[in-house]
Amino acid sequence: MVNDFDRILDECIEHINRGESLEACLARYPDHVDQLEPLLRAVIQTKEAYSFEPSMTAKSVAKQRFNAALERLQQRRLEKQPLFTKLFARPIALATVATVLLIIVAGYFGLRPLLYPAGPVPHHEGNFVFLISDDVNAIDDFASLNVSISNIGLLLGGESGRWVEFKPEVKEVDLTLVQGDKTQEIWRGDVPEGQYNKVFVHVASVSGILKETGASVDVKLPSEKLQISKPFEVTSSSVTSFVYDLTVIATGTPQSGVEYILMPQVGQSGAD
Amino acid sequence: MHAERSSKEAALAALYDEYYDKIARYIFVRIGDRAEAEDLAGEVFMKALESLNSYQERGIPMQAWLFKIAHNLVVDYLRKMTKRKTVSMDTIQIESDVNPAAVAEKNIELEQVNKAMEQLTTEQKEVLRLRFFGGLTSGEAGRVLNKSDGAVREMQRVAIEKLRKLLATDS
Repeated sequence: MVNDFDRILDECIEHINRGESLEACLARYPDHVDQLEPLLRAVIQTKEAYSFEPSMTAKSVAKQRFNAALERLQQRRLEKQPLFTKLFARPIALATVATVLLIIVAGYFGLRPLLYPAGPVPHHEGNFVFLISDDVNAIDDFASLNVSISNIGLLLGGESGRWVEFKPEVKEVDLTLVQGDKTQEIWRGDVPEGQYNKVFVHVASVSGILKETGASVDVKLPSEKLQISKPFEVTSSSVTSFVYDLTVIATGTPQSGVEYILMPQVGQSGAD
Repeated sequence: MHAERSSKEAALAALYDEYYDKIARYIFVRIGDRAEAEDLAGEVFMKALESLNSYQERGIPMQAWLFKIAHNLVVDYLRKMTKRKTVSMDTIQIESDVNPAAVAEKNIELEQVNKAMEQLTTEQKEVLRLRFFGGLTSGEAGRVLNKSDGAVREMQRVAIEKLRKLLATDS
């Protein structure tokens, strides 16, 4: 009997943890109301006394730190794997399929790595650092504004006119944390030396939470590929830091409905 | 081996959003400092990432393992802060746009519940923290505490019965 009551009490606590009311819990077990009610009131009183919502800023900062550490670990693991292991550690049938796929993919991307051996390589002592910042406009409307970046491209000037592309090590940035002079480094490594003319970031997704209502809001992009024209030089003898400035703008009125658009800011972007 | 590690990393990342809050609440109940609880909650996930190679899922789900890490971090923290044993009313900060009378009443309630919780045994307190604030099921709490589901449910009932009497006496 005691075991039965222990189980019933446990189930009620489970329901309360999920947000159910005391009355709803008691309605499930009418034969045990007299015994259950005072205990569940003590449970609720205790939970309410210690009620604590962690701040979204603290959670977001911690999550960025975690994601950055995860990216570094995954990158180091990829670098450590010998080519032989990557290609031939699996059964022959899989290795054959993998080799065929590799040939197709290399053909699709035009054998660029073979023609231009000095492609971007992430490295903690590289010659190029890519940072994201927010130029303050409507960012103050947001409790958080997470931008996911899937790809970055730099256009080499001159006769080659080729794009140097790489994937960010830190894929998600909360723009509310990088306002004004603050920046978030999302890639560091080696890129080919030379004069560059244009930069793009490929935005995979944007998710914003409004400060006033706590509601999720749709933030529009003029295009998934945000491109700016900005000349800068990269050399092997120094480290070039490029800050790519984004800004969120509010359009419309409260009466007609406010819309938010995320755009690149050429004026505030550039290299040191 | 790399595939196994990658799969564990993905599982850990998937738990982040839901369990950061639960772990922060669990830590806050134990140390009474909001800012430190938020910092330590982030630290739990960093430690978990560092120790992933030692995590084996047999017997203990990953979410329960996170609470074990949280427990160890809290023990280390409290060792450094030996003078702080209960939540002081001074540590509750008044938000500028909140009614001070309501905050004072909340502080009194917190002090009352805190005093009652201190009368429970260490194991009883831990069961209630994991169940009420960590949101673990009794089964998951049992795995953290190395106890059976039945033992956890019994401890939980005894603890709540004691808590109810203490709160009724104090009020």
